[in-house]
Amino acid sequence: MGKLEGKVAVITGGSSGLALESAKRFVDEGAYVFITGRGQEQLDQAVRLIGRNVTGVRGDAAKLDDLDHLFDTVKREKGEIDILFASAGKGEAAQLSEVTEQHFDREFGLIVRGTLFTAQKALPLINDGGSIILTGSVASVKGFPGFGVYAASKAALRSFARTWLNELKGRKIRVNVLSPGQVDTPDSQRLDKATREMFESLIPRGKMGRPEEIAAAALFLASDDSSYVNGMDFAVDGGFSAI
Amino acid sequence: MGKLEGKVAVITGGSSGMALASAKRFVEEGAYVFITGRRQEQLDEAVKAINRNVTGVRGDAANLDDLDRLFDTVKREKGKIDILFASAGKGEPLPLGQITEEHFDAAFDLNVRGTLFTVQKALPLFSDGGSIIMTGSNASAKGFPGFGVYAASKLALRSFARTWLNELKGRQIRVNLLVPGAVTSPMQEEVLTKEAREFFESLIPRGTMGQPDEIARVALFLASDDSSYVNGVELFVDGGMTAV
Repeated sequence: MGKLEGKVAVITGGSSGLALESAKRFVDEGAYVFITGRGQEQLDQAVRLIGRNVTGVRGDAAKLDDLDHLFDTVKREKGEIDILFASAGKGEAAQLSEVTEQHFDREFGLIVRGTLFTAQKALPLINDGGSIILTGSVASVKGFPGFGVYAASKAALRSFARTWLNELKGRKIRVNVLSPGQVDTPDSQRLDKATREMFESLIPRGKMGRPEEIAAAALFLASDDSSYVNGMDFAVDGGFSAI
Repeated sequence: MGKLEGKVAVITGGSSGMALASAKRFVEEGAYVFITGRRQEQLDEAVKAINRNVTGVRGDAANLDDLDRLFDTVKREKGKIDILFASAGKGEPLPLGQITEEHFDAAFDLNVRGTLFTVQKALPLFSDGGSIIMTGSNASAKGFPGFGVYAASKLALRSFARTWLNELKGRQIRVNLLVPGAVTSPMQEEVLTKEAREFFESLIPRGTMGQPDEIARVALFLASDDSSYVNGVELFVDGGMTAV
């Protein structure tokens, strides 16, 4: 018997990387998952990869119309949500002196505004006792040069978790932040060799995380194994931010 | 196939409460566990409750001779440790102004000094890739009146985790802190008045204390490979009490 038998999960940004790996793990554990992504082709590939108990809904988590379309689909097909993993987000680098309005608006529009409306629009469908997971970043507690706007946008999610868990406590809905460190994904493989080595030198074990290691932590937060865990900013970074 | 198949775990303070619940979980998942406790009778009951794949070793985690005897037993019977859950700890409430040397020494000797030597003496038996879990307290982040010495002793463990994960990284041993909030347990019932209990419950978003098994499931997560990329965290298991 899987840990998520009969549960319905929505994973935004679920067509690649850590979120896709989590979607696979959730389905292995018995859940039905809805995943989203902006590119139809990548989304179709992800749906094929997961293979069963999955619906792909094309959309941009920064666009409220797309979110309405997503939750309309969920409502029509399943009528309920047990787990919301709001994972859509992307970090662009810009030093303070280079930050443009467009850069700021893109980052906060997707990560903060998009996550807020994802959660708000999901709420009518979320079952009592459900689990909301927001993707944070260890950048928020590290201060990497060039990632100031991204890091601040993710820190805002940490704050949302505190407020929302209080607002949702009557419905026993838990809200946690999963903050991955460096993980081997298509995005991180685009880093230049020197940057990659710099990051790896900061990880105690000297190796980046694997997507399935993040998925295992997401499963923990999604399942009843974490029934008494609420409002955590849970770093899954190999000890990178602890030292 | 259990998550801890073939693993050997040592759980200090494992004869009651959440550590006992964790020992049961670990055994269900395939581990062999060594548990300790100061009182023989309670230890015997715990061994009976766990029922299989368990050895009880009587001892006080603050007493270095007892720790030697514990690890001698582990060495003789199993020859290795994969998981160490250093959970022995206790805190009596006493506000600043009334603190005695005895009160300070009791808390720091068991919670800090005892934990340090538990880990140090376990190290020669530790398998590469093993997991060390220490029990913290959310009192360290909250400042509950009367629990100053206890809270400070537990926060020292948070610092140990940072240093030790660096010192042990060559052996791929992870070190994490499991930080329980208010949990129904014999220790809570011993130290908390009804008023104190109601006060704590009012601070928990869901309004009810945790159950020992809710801590055990998190201990299992930290002990198993499910947390292979989790290191040096202070994992609060307190229903959100600290977060808000």
